[in-house]
Amino acid sequence: MISRETAWRMFAGELNNSSLERKGDEEKSPTYLITPLGTKTNRVLIAGVLLEKQNIGNDEEPLWRARIEDVSGSYFVNVGRYQPEAAAAIASLETPSFVAVVGKIRTYRPDESRILVSIRPERIVRIDSETRQRIVLETAKCTWKRLNGMKAALSMPEASADDLAATGGMTKDEAEGIIEAAEFYGMPDSSRYLKLIQSSLRMLLPEREIDLGLPEDVVDIPDEIDLEERSGISDVDKEDLVLDMLGELDKDGRGAPMDDLIRKATSEGITPTELEEMTNSLMDKGLVYEPVLGRLKRI
Amino acid sequence: MKMEELTPHIEELKRVIGESADEKQITDELNTYLNVYHVSIDAAKKGIMRKYGVDAPLFVPAASVTKKINEMTGDEKNVDLVARVVFVEEKQITARGVPKTIFSGILGDETATASFTVWDVGKMELVKGETYNFKNAYTKMWNDKLQINLGERSVAEPSETPIDAPERTISYSSEVTISELRDGIGNVTVTGKILSVEPKSITSKDETKTVFTGYIADNTGKVQFTAWNDFELKNDETVCAKNAYIKAWRGVPQLNFGDQCEISRVDAVFSNVHSGSSERSVADITKTGGGLDVMVTGAIVDVRMGSGLIKRCPNCNRSILGDECTAHGKVESVQDLRMKIVIDDGTGALTAVVNRECTEKLTGITLERAVAMARENVDQDSVCRLMEEKVLAMNVAATGNVLSDDYGPMMIVREIEKMAVDIKKEAEELMEKVEGSM
Repeated sequence: MISRETAWRMFAGELNNSSLERKGDEEKSPTYLITPLGTKTNRVLIAGVLLEKQNIGNDEEPLWRARIEDVSGSYFVNVGRYQPEAAAAIASLETPSFVAVVGKIRTYRPDESRILVSIRPERIVRIDSETRQRIVLETAKCTWKRLNGMKAALSMPEASADDLAATGGMTKDEAEGIIEAAEFYGMPDSSRYLKLIQSSLRMLLPEREIDLGLPEDVVDIPDEIDLEERSGISDVDKEDLVLDMLGELDKDGRGAPMDDLIRKATSEGITPTELEEMTNSLMDKGLVYEPVLGRLKRI
Repeated sequence: MKMEELTPHIEELKRVIGESADEKQITDELNTYLNVYHVSIDAAKKGIMRKYGVDAPLFVPAASVTKKINEMTGDEKNVDLVARVVFVEEKQITARGVPKTIFSGILGDETATASFTVWDVGKMELVKGETYNFKNAYTKMWNDKLQINLGERSVAEPSETPIDAPERTISYSSEVTISELRDGIGNVTVTGKILSVEPKSITSKDETKTVFTGYIADNTGKVQFTAWNDFELKNDETVCAKNAYIKAWRGVPQLNFGDQCEISRVDAVFSNVHSGSSERSVADITKTGGGLDVMVTGAIVDVRMGSGLIKRCPNCNRSILGDECTAHGKVESVQDLRMKIVIDDGTGALTAVVNRECTEKLTGITLERAVAMARENVDQDSVCRLMEEKVLAMNVAATGNVLSDDYGPMMIVREIEKMAVDIKKEAEELMEKVEGSM
């Protein structure tokens, strides 16, 4: 039975801080991101303020980049032509406005040491402030639950996923995520996640002066990040770029010379190794072929 | 194969072959078969047995082993056991269209009990309470339970030493609450209040039979039941049904009172009989595969294709494209409203099918308005888009029956409404919890 993946309620502060990816066990299962609090996720439901949006594609092939602000940081959002509903919806949204997004998680590694997390919306919809508050509240509750699950797991360092599932009020899947997260990230900085909850409670209960006594010097997630850099170029977009190059370089209809392609790609920031991977992938997809050795042609 | 792994096989061959060969001969033979000819251990053993004049049965795939019932895994092809017949009865069944008599019952040893079937009743006579050495039995798993089969090759020899298995007249029946009912849990004892019961005529094997169906509930939930005999069940009485069994239809468990079921009237009072719907998480529903009259609360995270203004065949009510029904050809279609939405409660997601009445209530768009809108915009999809804007991200409570297929759980919605959340109150509660832990 193929069950639809759960849409996890998650603050940007938890999502953007994640760098552990895991392929699922079953055949055809997607890649999951494991957050520092142990959530194994590939889909999220988030709410916030749409602050910026920009179509870096064109009308026919839109590629929207957007930034959505929650209580403590920003979600980075990419919408392309493969998400027609979301692309149509985002085109008509105003900035600023309250929005909710259901989307898949995408990661991009600009280099070995960094991983940037963005959301590719399946749905993006304008909401009222009450719905926004409701989702923020839900997210705060879920974050609190995950933080406690993590704490419980760390207090039983030898426990297996089955043990945790039996005692900790969590499913085996959740327990596995927590164990992997604890191994990879170590002990989470709980004040960081408590601050996320504090920020949301301050928003939801403005009349109360909420102070959980957290050290204020904990470095928050920087909120000024270059949108361009942050969203990066995904593999699919890069493949499109390579296809365009092929068309351009194929001057005599006999295919583009490999040497020219490598030179052109390098100037666009695609390394020869990356290029090879991409051309292989394009060949597998049946989009390009090699008419003669050393030349590549679009079909 | 390592020597120590071979030892039990060598021992077995020694025992079977006896005087004709010594251990060294057997070991050498086995080595030749396995390491020179690379045949399987079973084939090697059979070959060696035949060579030394032991009449190894041709179609026995593996030499038998002796096991206790709790050691059996359900894939033994040839197993010996010493067990006591806890219960046995003759049964008439139809196998491949031919009526057939079998014996079925329970076998028990010191370790466990399991149900068994004698497929060839001419081969053995079993007396309840007696202990037998059963040879050449095979096992299978049926509904997650071990089943011991005694076929044509099987033998039962009375054992001199009776073993101490529990004396029971009937199979093991566990006491469960209605919310715990799952497909494949075997016989159960359930106590509950009959909410409704009515006779129903069914035809089975060309025979018309009256069964009684209805709902039974306890504090934890309610379930549909079928009584295959007339137990004179009445509305509002509380009964204890022993040896009832579960059958699931697309993930929804149903309770059955069959021939072996004993119904007794009890005085148990349920403080809060679950005649209403029970609230469950999507994760829980996905695990059990479905449920009757359940409520889920969550966010609407998707509106699927086929939502909005649709056309139906006037004959079969199926939704159709254009004016062409796959079953009835060209028809005068009837317009209808419906939604196929995905509800996600943070633990999982399910598809929910919402009928016209509920769709109108939730979206505020009536069928008349939808028809007018589609005509105005010359676009059927405009209705669906407006619905999406209205319901996406909405928090709802949906009630209905949940079935499962290959694409996960699906609820046929009976009632759906926007769930108001007391944000201030819940935020205060969260704050108290967080502050309390600091």
